[in-house]
Amino acid sequence: MEMEVVSSNPFKALGAAIIKGDIWTKLSLFIWGAGALGRKQYIKALLLTLIEVFAITMLIQYGTPYLQKFNTLGEVEREVTREMDPDTWEMVEIVNDYDNSQLILIYGVCSILTMVAIVLYGLLNMVRSYALQLRAKRGRHINTFWEDIKSLKEEKFYKVLLSLPVLGVVIFIIVPIVCLIFVAFTNYDQNHLTPTHLFTWVGLRNFKLLFTSLGGAFAYSFRKILTWTIIWSIFATLTTYFGGILMAQFINSPKTHGKKLWRTLLVITIAVPQFVSLLLVRYFFQDQGIVNTICRNIHLTDFLRNIGLIRSSYIPFLSSPGWAKVTIIMINIWIGIPYQMLIATGVLMNIPNDLMESARIDGANKFQIFRKITMPYLLFVTGPALLSDFVRNFNNFNVIYLLTDSVYKTTDQTMSSIRAKEVDLLVTWLFRLTQDEQNYKVASVISIIVFIICASLTVVGFSRMIAGDKEGDFQ
Amino acid sequence: MKKLLCMVMVLAMVLSLCACGDTTTTDPSKTPGESQNPSSSKEPEASKDPASLPTVTLTVWGGEGEESQAFLKAAVEAFKEANKDKANFDIKIGAESESTVKDTVLADPEAAADVFYMADDQVAALVAAGAIAEVIFETDKVIEENGGQDSGSIKAASVDGKLYAFPATASNGYFMFYNKEYFSEDDVKSFEKMVEVAAAAGKKVSFQMDSGWYLYGFFNGAGLSATLNEDGKTNSCDWNATSGTYTGVQVAESILNLVASEGFTAASDADFQTGIAEGTIIAGVNGTWNAKAAEAAWGENYAATKLPTFNVNGTDVQMSSYAGYKLVAVSNYSENTNYAMALARFLTNYDNQVMRFEMVGEGPSNVQAASSEKVLADPATAALAAQGAYATVQRIGNNFWDPSQTLGTILAQGNPDNIDLQTLLDNAVEGITAPIIE
Repeated sequence: MEMEVVSSNPFKALGAAIIKGDIWTKLSLFIWGAGALGRKQYIKALLLTLIEVFAITMLIQYGTPYLQKFNTLGEVEREVTREMDPDTWEMVEIVNDYDNSQLILIYGVCSILTMVAIVLYGLLNMVRSYALQLRAKRGRHINTFWEDIKSLKEEKFYKVLLSLPVLGVVIFIIVPIVCLIFVAFTNYDQNHLTPTHLFTWVGLRNFKLLFTSLGGAFAYSFRKILTWTIIWSIFATLTTYFGGILMAQFINSPKTHGKKLWRTLLVITIAVPQFVSLLLVRYFFQDQGIVNTICRNIHLTDFLRNIGLIRSSYIPFLSSPGWAKVTIIMINIWIGIPYQMLIATGVLMNIPNDLMESARIDGANKFQIFRKITMPYLLFVTGPALLSDFVRNFNNFNVIYLLTDSVYKTTDQTMSSIRAKEVDLLVTWLFRLTQDEQNYKVASVISIIVFIICASLTVVGFSRMIAGDKEGDFQ
Repeated sequence: MKKLLCMVMVLAMVLSLCACGDTTTTDPSKTPGESQNPSSSKEPEASKDPASLPTVTLTVWGGEGEESQAFLKAAVEAFKEANKDKANFDIKIGAESESTVKDTVLADPEAAADVFYMADDQVAALVAAGAIAEVIFETDKVIEENGGQDSGSIKAASVDGKLYAFPATASNGYFMFYNKEYFSEDDVKSFEKMVEVAAAAGKKVSFQMDSGWYLYGFFNGAGLSATLNEDGKTNSCDWNATSGTYTGVQVAESILNLVASEGFTAASDADFQTGIAEGTIIAGVNGTWNAKAAEAAWGENYAATKLPTFNVNGTDVQMSSYAGYKLVAVSNYSENTNYAMALARFLTNYDNQVMRFEMVGEGPSNVQAASSEKVLADPATAALAAQGAYATVQRIGNNFWDPSQTLGTILAQGNPDNIDLQTLLDNAVEGITAPIIE
């Protein structure tokens, strides 16, 4: 009985379908309903063919105008002529038949994805028809239409449930990402803004701009910003992580009174929306802000100037590169620790007490317990969270942008020529490039790089940390 | 119960089928009408029927300030009233800062308001992007009212000799505010004298050095230029000149000399306001937008005048400045360009410029309105008019701002790393004149 089954390897299955399929199976590649028709599933055959006809008609009708122009992204620029009568305000407005590169790109991508989907479904359909052919050959029962419907709400119910989320992923994630990747290969920037102007393909030039000496200021700034982004992510992640654990330890210690009070006080920083507290802190630490006034009044500013740490009449907390970087990390510790403390508190409460007790009986001191039991346990449980924190900090737009926007003025002449600042992360630079410069081409190259870095970190990290067989490693 | 479940599932399936249909058929099917299709063209509008007035929806963006919003509201109401025989207007008013409206418009030109206020430095970029429409309504009259083809406001609103916006105010430049308690009329003639007086009093004179817009006043005053090229995108700049009456290094040295004084501070706009309110700042270069704050802080001692001279290589040189204008533009993607033009024209006519001056305090660009007694009596506007002789219309490409800001920041900090001044200026000029990477 089990001699002839459809292989689970899709390529083998396809090969078998092509070689051993009968005429209905082979035909089902082009006419989706053919396989079903051959096994007398008339309603299914009709539905499948209708869907196919519908898909292909739509593709031809709506997709082709865009696909034809996809190789150039359009050639006709928008032109408008207007004439207006000063008394009646009557106007004659003539707009030419112009191309919109952005729409051509987006709908072109949609059409291409649709074509891919149609071809893939055609192949899948052929494999399914082959399976059906085998069933028929062996004389086994072939589902009627109603039985098919029934199966969709019983053993194949997962398909029904998954269809909507999958559709959402395709429309809201895959299509935009593919479009964004394509933009990296165009010259879409301030001088090629749609709908009035056109943009077109430029190959790898934007990548060369960032990675080779061709870019000059771009390559220089990219290197500097990438370095700072990595340093920032490491510091921001580790300081808040260990700070949070220490804080949780202190508060959890039996000798601490008023545990709830301390915890509440710390959690208040979470309750206040982050951007409010960050903007306030930015005003506190400005060159003429309140912190500087206090420092001046207690003569800290003078002291620092005397020992040569600063040269200005204020402490440049957020306005000189070195100071700003330290200040930003410090402020991040302040707003980041409460979250980590909450997580660590939860985990600490879950450490089996017998472990601690037996260690104590064995004569381990507090530090040894912390190092040998608490920390490994914490690392084991929160490792994945630590990694995702790193990725989050890599893209930590809020802290950097809200703290430095309009306060930090760069003194690096090379960076300033392309809107970059020493304290920028890749993501804030990207934001400035798109918001202030409409430099979408470079921005999408940067976002591709950010994606590659974050995705590979996540994939490598997670596969190492939570690989299925590591479960028993602890203890 | 089971039936209900069945129905839900059938519904879900139908939905997913419909949805499937969507993915496999590309998105244009979702957008009804031809508007999204590149091969469609707008039909000439012919919607005039005196029997039934058309309903016209327009959006206007004006400055965020309470006063300018109040002005806009009043002016729009007057427009509706005056033109109720033309159409039924439904006009929405939004707040969008005149100085950054360009960024909002360029992010999605098709979603911009039909009519919007903007500062004149953004004209070039908006025209280059095709975001604003050429003026086609009473063009000659507008030019005449604002002082003719060669007047600053018309030049500021034109690109390649074509008018792209209606001039609304002529008071967006900068000049010197000062407190008469500390300065005599002679003192305020020289920047060096002013910082000396301020230092002696333990106070500050403020000048926003870390901004290319203000920094320009020094270099241009000394005859060094920074200006837009013919292509409308790149700049020419000789701030690093090594020959001529004054060299770039000499100008930078005199700036550093001023900055080094105890009586100087490079306060930002917000810090300037705080400073005059607290009494630490007793004079400063700023614009009409801070006139009310200065008047409130100094009362009877409030005064304003043209910019002072500064000392370059032993000679007193008059500081220059940018003359600034606010303009009203019409979106190139407006559905009702004609009505938008009419509204923009109305907002900037004589009556409304006078009303704007009274409500917001911004000086008119309309020549007749600008010479009215009320306007001339205002110290800030008068100071601006006096500075007008030394001011230039702003014609500069986008690449000017960040390198000049960085140069200004370094100078404002007194060149802490002791970079060779010629190198510093060379770098700045390189950034300002950088080619646009196509």
